[in-house]
Amino acid sequence: MDAFLIILTGSLVAICAALLGSFLVLRKMSMVGDAISHAVLPGLVVAYLVSGSRASLPMLVGAALVGMLTTFLIELFHKKFKLQSDASIGVTFTFLFALGVIMVSAFTGKIDLDQDCVLHGEIAYVPLDILVTGTVLDHLPYTVWVLLAATIIVVGFVYIGFKGLKITTFDETYAASLGISTAFWHYALMSMVSLTTVVSFEAVGAILVVAFFIIPAASAYLLTDQLKKMLFLACGFGVLSAVLGYYLAATINGSIAGSMATVAGCLFVITFLFSPKQGLLKRKKPLSTKA
Amino acid sequence: MNLRISIFACLILLTTISCQRNSTESAEGLIKIVATTGMVADAAQAIGGEYVVVESLMGPGVDPHLYKATHGDLKLLRNADVILYNGLHLEGKMAEVFEKMAQLPDKVIHPVAEFIPKAALKVVDPNGPTYDPHIWFDVVLWAAVYKEIGDLLSHSYPEHADYFKANVEGKQAELTVLDGWVQQEINSIPEAQRILITAHDAFEYFGAAYGIQVKGLQGISTLSEAGLRDVKELVDLIVDQQIKAVFVESSVPVRDINAVVKGCKEKGHEVAIGGTLFSDAMGEAGTEEGTYEGMVKSNVNTIVNALR
Repeated sequence: MDAFLIILTGSLVAICAALLGSFLVLRKMSMVGDAISHAVLPGLVVAYLVSGSRASLPMLVGAALVGMLTTFLIELFHKKFKLQSDASIGVTFTFLFALGVIMVSAFTGKIDLDQDCVLHGEIAYVPLDILVTGTVLDHLPYTVWVLLAATIIVVGFVYIGFKGLKITTFDETYAASLGISTAFWHYALMSMVSLTTVVSFEAVGAILVVAFFIIPAASAYLLTDQLKKMLFLACGFGVLSAVLGYYLAATINGSIAGSMATVAGCLFVITFLFSPKQGLLKRKKPLSTKA
Repeated sequence: MNLRISIFACLILLTTISCQRNSTESAEGLIKIVATTGMVADAAQAIGGEYVVVESLMGPGVDPHLYKATHGDLKLLRNADVILYNGLHLEGKMAEVFEKMAQLPDKVIHPVAEFIPKAALKVVDPNGPTYDPHIWFDVVLWAAVYKEIGDLLSHSYPEHADYFKANVEGKQAELTVLDGWVQQEINSIPEAQRILITAHDAFEYFGAAYGIQVKGLQGISTLSEAGLRDVKELVDLIVDQQIKAVFVESSVPVRDINAVVKGCKEKGHEVAIGGTLFSDAMGEAGTEEGTYEGMVKSNVNTIVNALR
């Protein structure tokens, strides 16, 4: 049962992240997940100062609020001040993280307060994180319920909003001419991203979430030009990484999140080499003869 | 293409569900104890003796703040009869999982440092309040943890209660001797030189118990970064007091403390690196430093040799 629960957890994170990540990759915003992972630090400090505790719930609330703020600032710098998307991501998260570091040393320097110790969960412990309510909820770990809810919301969001997301991702001018608000879809997407990120951090830790936001979507992007196919492929890559990663971890007795992310990377390399569309080994002529 | 991949993924998922392995590699009849840190594991082994098999999650040299769980750790926790952890937030978020597991009837799960009266603990932040978890360097305080583990095991396994009690008493006698020895050694350092400078604040209890001033560069968390002013203040202190040595720790990088050594050199004061102290983790299993008492002795010898 433990193996199944861990793979299920990994797969749910993979599906949420891959669906949203595909749009992020296409919008050249794939580092948003990583940005949020750093940017939440001031939120944690404020949550601690307000609540006086390092329990999960206040930390989650603080992180979620700053996560939203992060995506809001990124969009503000990008749209209003015409900063490139990568630069606006960079400015936002380094600024917020630095703010957090200062707040830690000024207000809470003597206590252990950082993402790793108060926010990031550990996927290996998901099966142990049971609920004791005496109801049907007790059959699955707390984390799995939360991620199931997140997955339903994300899948629903992408399904219902597919048209709007697609048009605003590929052609903003055309979207505007149809009266579709690019700002609305951007903020909707980014809100989903920050909520998914923070909830997944709390469940399985940062590295897996950041990896699953980018790598499966990037692998899928190498294989197809069609958005729908890309979404399905990205989910497939994500789930496959979760499954194979679990067995890699079991074989080498290593970190499960690390193994899943590693497998995702390996799958990307394999796709990169063998992709029929732009794979290296399929090219008739090599790009360069230099070693 | 996508269909084939999803079918493949589903197949693998299905095989996972169907082939569950049950581990039966436990030693017959022994109480299986899993401890988080080496110090807790050592105490549990000393009390449980021949009736227990103890595993620790964090190996030698592992910083508890940076510990990452492996696949095998889950299995250890699943199969454990007793889980002992330090508590006081030393294990970070992991403790929340333990707290939840403790609600289940089939396991004994206990934070060994949490029972200590709060008055005996050091408050690091009145907001909360938050306590310093590094209690093991005050030998008297840590000796109480042995008794706590003894009581816990006796309660859960009353058939061996006399044996556990005898072990607790034997161990406490040994630790009383150790406590006296540490005090005597520290007293042999000239009073003006009794300043212990390390990379992070893991020695507050040690300092308070044995009368040696402790200056940490980094704060309680090994992740918080040393501020520029911290480094400067430390350098001034070392130069003013003509302190002979500063110390590095087995589970914390040496970079920051090197900056201090350099800073002193620029001010014309040679300060040596006095040696490596064990702070959050013990030495390799099988060596002298791989036990609690060996670790304390090694630290005290290192400190005394460098400062005397």
